[in-house]
Amino acid sequence: MTAPVQWLFGAVAIALLAAIPVVTGGTYYAYLGIIVFIYGIVAIGLNILSGYAGQFSLGHAAFMAMGAYTTAILSKSLNTIPFFAQTGLHIWLGVIVGTVLAALFGIVLAIPALRVRGPYLAMVTVAFGWVVWKILQEWVAVTGGDLGISSIPKPRIGAALLDTRSFYYVVLLFFLAALALQYRLIHSQFGLRVRAVKHSEIAVASVGVNVYRLKVVVFVISAAFAGFGGTLFAHQQNYISPDNFQFFSSVFFLLAVLFGGAGTMLGPVVGAAVLMLLPEMLHDFDKYRLIVYAGLILLTLYFLPKGVMGLLPEQRSAAPAPADAMEEAVALPPIRGAGLAVEGVTRRFGGLLALSDVSFRVEPGSIHALIGPNGAGKTTLINIVSGIYRPDHGSIRVDGENARIESMHAAAQEGIVRTFQTLKLFGDMTVIEHVMIGMTRHAKAGLWDAFAGSQRARDEASAQLVEARALLKLLGISQLENVPANSLAYGHRRLVEIARALAVKPRILLLDEPAAGLIAEEIRALAVVIRRLRSMGMTILLVEHHMDLVLGVSDRITVLDHGAVIADGSPSEIRRDERVIAAYLGHAHAAA
Amino acid sequence: MYFFFQIALSGIATGAIYGLIAVGYSLTFMTTKALNFALGMWVMMGGMLTYSLHVQYGLNPLLVLPIVTVALFLLGIVAERFSVYPFLRAGSDVWVLSTLAVGFLMIDFAEIVWGRNPTPVPPFFGKEPVYFGSVSILPQQLLIIAAACATFIGLDFFYRKTLLGKAFRAVAHSGEVSSLMGINTRRVQALSYATAAALAGIAGFLVVPLTLAEPQLGTVLGLKAFAIAIIAGLAAPRGILICGLVYGAFEGLVSGYLYTGIRDILGFSIMILALYLRPEGIFGRAQEERA
Repeated sequence: MTAPVQWLFGAVAIALLAAIPVVTGGTYYAYLGIIVFIYGIVAIGLNILSGYAGQFSLGHAAFMAMGAYTTAILSKSLNTIPFFAQTGLHIWLGVIVGTVLAALFGIVLAIPALRVRGPYLAMVTVAFGWVVWKILQEWVAVTGGDLGISSIPKPRIGAALLDTRSFYYVVLLFFLAALALQYRLIHSQFGLRVRAVKHSEIAVASVGVNVYRLKVVVFVISAAFAGFGGTLFAHQQNYISPDNFQFFSSVFFLLAVLFGGAGTMLGPVVGAAVLMLLPEMLHDFDKYRLIVYAGLILLTLYFLPKGVMGLLPEQRSAAPAPADAMEEAVALPPIRGAGLAVEGVTRRFGGLLALSDVSFRVEPGSIHALIGPNGAGKTTLINIVSGIYRPDHGSIRVDGENARIESMHAAAQEGIVRTFQTLKLFGDMTVIEHVMIGMTRHAKAGLWDAFAGSQRARDEASAQLVEARALLKLLGISQLENVPANSLAYGHRRLVEIARALAVKPRILLLDEPAAGLIAEEIRALAVVIRRLRSMGMTILLVEHHMDLVLGVSDRITVLDHGAVIADGSPSEIRRDERVIAAYLGHAHAAA
Repeated sequence: MYFFFQIALSGIATGAIYGLIAVGYSLTFMTTKALNFALGMWVMMGGMLTYSLHVQYGLNPLLVLPIVTVALFLLGIVAERFSVYPFLRAGSDVWVLSTLAVGFLMIDFAEIVWGRNPTPVPPFFGKEPVYFGSVSILPQQLLIIAAACATFIGLDFFYRKTLLGKAFRAVAHSGEVSSLMGINTRRVQALSYATAAALAGIAGFLVVPLTLAEPQLGTVLGLKAFAIAIIAGLAAPRGILICGLVYGAFEGLVSGYLYTGIRDILGFSIMILALYLRPEGIFGRAQEERA
């Protein structure tokens, strides 16, 4: 579908939704609509967290409860004050406070819970949802216990009470706004990072993003959506009790997201609508609720891994084809490669001494290879320099300054960026998106720009696109710009890894076995790229097994064996070094 | 002081149950990184089967125990094949939901077969408390502690002394390397899932005389056991038993001295706090990420 057709579809859909209360008469369908929209809003929030960022939550009903109870208690207690009784502002005050409070609780939960990864988060959110539900039951003085809270003030604007039909339109607007926010967020720089986290947290960290903080922020946004939905729910129903916010409500929302299509714009909405309307049509639903849910979960997982939306033909909004004239004009900024010094680094794993007092220097703007037999400690060293491990002793210096490398993103801040031997690309995200994520570290537009769709964000995005294309051209993969990474040939994937790292504008590039799995021709092309980077000023530390490549491009080579440096010199010196030959080829060969 | 020991002791019995279930999480976590999210429902199945065989058909508990264990073990093999393996193989973590769906099916199955009404199950060895000085304990609680300890010792022996147990540990250490060494990784994964299911069944068998036989009997038990596994460290089975016992005693004391309503709220809050302070668990060793 082209953009104008999409707009047309959208307009027709909105017109149809707007017509529902008018056409159907009565309030039943308007009421159903309101509930579907409210559930849709919660599901959209959960989709951002679970669908796009890949972090499962089975506790979102708790955030909904937070919003609902807050506005219920607040608006009820303010209802008798004449000012509020006349203006109806207490309702909307409650909506705002409820949403904010849910977000705050999102922070309180996310900070500890996101320290565990992926699926385990789900179980923690189950426990959290359970705690909230239990508190609602036990804290009778405030929540009314099992009986809940009744006669919550009806929604109103000014003095006018909103009947079901008018409230339908208000909620429809909120619902459309939620969709728009989701769209803005996902299509921003921030959204790129969010989508990438689902595929590889470690690779997102490698481009200088604090992944933990990113996940907390996403969790909080998601909780705010749920809280907001909860506030609307309270005013719609006028009565809430712990029953509304049980574990199964949380399951309902996650199922809605998966069934509709996790990580699609409209999936959560479709899912919420179908799952909400289904029981309305089924008799005896309550009796078989669990069977229906369980069946739907299994069917979805087996047969609709991409949800209902996945059945639609895939569409990629291809970025406009690069204008060649413009691209010629953009030269990549010169690189000021930094010097790297590894000083007395020691690292143990339990009883195993992986690195023992390793020191060597990498000159600025040079290609320095690190070689050694398997188990020599190369990977450990590169993991230390890139911030994955901390050394037990020793330090890393960048241009003579002591570098504070406490995490991967800290290493990227210091200008040290790496590629991975076992490729860590972001699933079906396109090549150009990989490069754009790399540019995150230098982005100025923040989360609010993303939500607001500010001019600054748009300017920045188009500037980055130009730069990203120049990088692709440098690596000779311009033609692959809009190809999803998971359908690339292996050799191209290696180049995408390098492009992503370069986008961070490193001063030291760590290449971790970039030639692994490449055929001879691809290795030659890789050598060309590496040399070109050096000629632009980049400092490159190359960990590699492929000796032709190492001897062909390196200015200097450091050889590790059993965790210690056994030789350090120019390629021709290394080629003649007896200890190196012994370590690599065995003593018999050395003697021959 | 007498009251203190009294409630702590009966708390420990409950704690032994938590420990048994929690070790199940740890077993599958170590070999596959996947968990059975509905382990509590498996406990329920064990409990309901016990109710059927013991109360409805009058079978001797000593006969019921092996039947329940084997039945859940076999069910575990089947469930793993259909609800975990296909997703695990595809590298997806949606087993979170598929294992949960299996649990939902179990609850509905139980409601249809046994009804929703809670039914009491008489303790296997009578209701006369046994006295140690002035502190008393129910025979059922003694049985729980003894059986849980026996199961743990058995498991520990299995892991350390038998070839299959060593294969389990090898797979837990590194699946890739183990399969290079000729260990059937796939079988170890399926067996660990089934073993977790069987442990849950044993827990259900032991606990059902203390609770009531009902379809919701395992839900909260499973959740608490998870909290304990997290607090102790999913990769530390021995620590989990200790944590389970301590947690049980703690629960007993909270209900005894404060009030029951706040018990689980406190427990889960401790889990969330523990996660923050020590994500790898009290007994767990920090796992290094591998690039």
